[in-house]
Amino acid sequence: MSERVIEGIGATPRTGVGSVVWYRPAETGAEESEEPVPESDRESEQERFEAARERAREELESERERTAERVGEEEAAVFDAHRQFLDDPQIEEEVTESIGEGAPAASAVREAFADPITQFEGMDGRMAERADDLRDVRDRLVRLLVGGERVDLAELPEGSILLAERLTPSDTAQLDPERVAGFATSTGGRTSHAAIFARSLAIPAVLGVGTDLESIDEGERIVVDGDEGIVVADPTDERVASARRDTADEVIDGRVATVDGRGIEVAANVGRAADLEGALTQGADGIGLYRTEFLFLDREEPPAEAEQYERYVEALEAFPDGRVVVRTLDIGGDKRIPYLDLPDEENPFLGERGIRRSLSSDEELFETQLRALLRAGAAEGDLAVMFPLVSTVEELDAALDRVEEVADSLEAEGLEYATPELGVMIETPGAVFMAEELASRVDFLSIGTNDLAQYVMAAARENERVADLHDPLHPPVLRAIRRSVEAAHENDAWIGMCGEMAGDPDLTELLVGLGLDELSMSAVTIPAVKANVEGIETESAGDLASRALTTATRTDVTNLLTDQ
Amino acid sequence: MSETHERTVEIVPEAGLHARPAAKFVETANEHDATVRIGEAGADDDNLIDAGSMIAVTSLGVKQGERLRIVAEGEDSEEALDALERVLSTPEGES
Repeated sequence: MSERVIEGIGATPRTGVGSVVWYRPAETGAEESEEPVPESDRESEQERFEAARERAREELESERERTAERVGEEEAAVFDAHRQFLDDPQIEEEVTESIGEGAPAASAVREAFADPITQFEGMDGRMAERADDLRDVRDRLVRLLVGGERVDLAELPEGSILLAERLTPSDTAQLDPERVAGFATSTGGRTSHAAIFARSLAIPAVLGVGTDLESIDEGERIVVDGDEGIVVADPTDERVASARRDTADEVIDGRVATVDGRGIEVAANVGRAADLEGALTQGADGIGLYRTEFLFLDREEPPAEAEQYERYVEALEAFPDGRVVVRTLDIGGDKRIPYLDLPDEENPFLGERGIRRSLSSDEELFETQLRALLRAGAAEGDLAVMFPLVSTVEELDAALDRVEEVADSLEAEGLEYATPELGVMIETPGAVFMAEELASRVDFLSIGTNDLAQYVMAAARENERVADLHDPLHPPVLRAIRRSVEAAHENDAWIGMCGEMAGDPDLTELLVGLGLDELSMSAVTIPAVKANVEGIETESAGDLASRALTTATRTDVTNLLTDQ
Repeated sequence: MSETHERTVEIVPEAGLHARPAAKFVETANEHDATVRIGEAGADDDNLIDAGSMIAVTSLGVKQGERLRIVAEGEDSEEALDALERVLSTPEGES
């Protein structure tokens, strides 16, 4: 029998093979009564509704906590919306009215939700997602009212592939990546909650498969290929073997080196809580970019020194043998924070952002952050701190002065501290041209390729009309990288790269050839990059880089890479 | 002694009054001892809807940059308006 390939949208560059478990939450498995409720029992029917709602609130609360912990505060916030839908006065009124007329509570609930669901389904874009939220709330209430079974998604057998029409945030939050080999849904796209979750935890996932998914039966062995965006039923043995291979050599724990022994550190970029977990499960050697913005976003006031200290120590504890590179607050440009008075600028990307703000408008925030960082420097682990968007030596000197001042005051207060390794991000042409001077003052440099490409090519990251220009494979960007690497090494500093480019497995050889010591990326590509490093010969990587550095066009670079 | 206050506020969150900002908005409206109703800027009183209903608030489909008329009636009406204005002028975190 030949295999059947069903196309969808890939959410993660991952392939999984396993046995199908169908999840149909709307079918509770319990009989629902449609008999009218006698008048004498209507009061207790109303009480049953209230009790179910109370229980639903409790469920939402615990699922919210779980999601915040595993995926992040941002994803968890959707439960706040569910909570408000659950308590909506309009729903309450309609349910109460129907029950008063003799409807059983469960059908009263179905009826009350019907109109709003239809209404939201008709709206465009993100508003249509509210229909999903309402269905989720409705099904939860109905299940609690009819005492239906709930498939415990947290307890799926190991090696399961979950199939469902859709997975709600509450569903995905329960999935255990150790047990679930993948999932596929008939609805959803790359930006749905399920996709975000899948990427955070590196679970193979294909979404938006359509109704063809229904043709796959419970217990069947299937392959979910999140890279190609396909679900394969009745897979051939070759397909299964290659999917298994993809799964088997996925995580490489421990340091990797090239064939001839040049060690390359492969680290993770992290921001949200789930990123830290993903970094650990994907075998990151450490953290190459800890984005502290996430500590500052979505709140009424900035995090206190103690809170920041705890977060930094938490990251250090997660990687007892690896380095944790924390980037000081990088705000301004496109990132907004409510309690900071960010000016409206005509060219925010060329405005007061990154270190510029830390040395002016956000001086106090910067000082608090440095205090927390220097104190964390005394904790177990290997902490490093880097400054974003430096474009002059003066800025770096000023930042280093602040570090010294903070150290002095911690000393005077008798608090335990240690100055961590210090570094500069290379993101502006200014920093590239002054890389020697910068490197001589610090322990390391870290190239932020997204911003570097943006500024070298003068092409905004968000502007699709110039998307072609915003590509690190343009020779001027490669030359800027090479120049920074040489400057670092001549000054006994190490040099890393964080940004999309570092995580592209197709570019690993080129980057090793350019001389980078560390590559930092989203957790999901770490295994592929580590595997690539182990197959590279330093000399031929160096040749490849040399040839790339003599090209005149991006096409030349691309041709060079595909000739390999 | 029921006081009525109102103001018109511009929506700052990038996604408009969608899931999270809407939930926060409804929660805030319900927290205060005031009856709060909302509508598009310039909407007359008959076209205002209950700010304490998530369904009503999200179905307005208000987008970033649009303006909302908020009318609060009750003892805490001023406080309610202040708090709601804060919610509407707080941008969402990046995703």
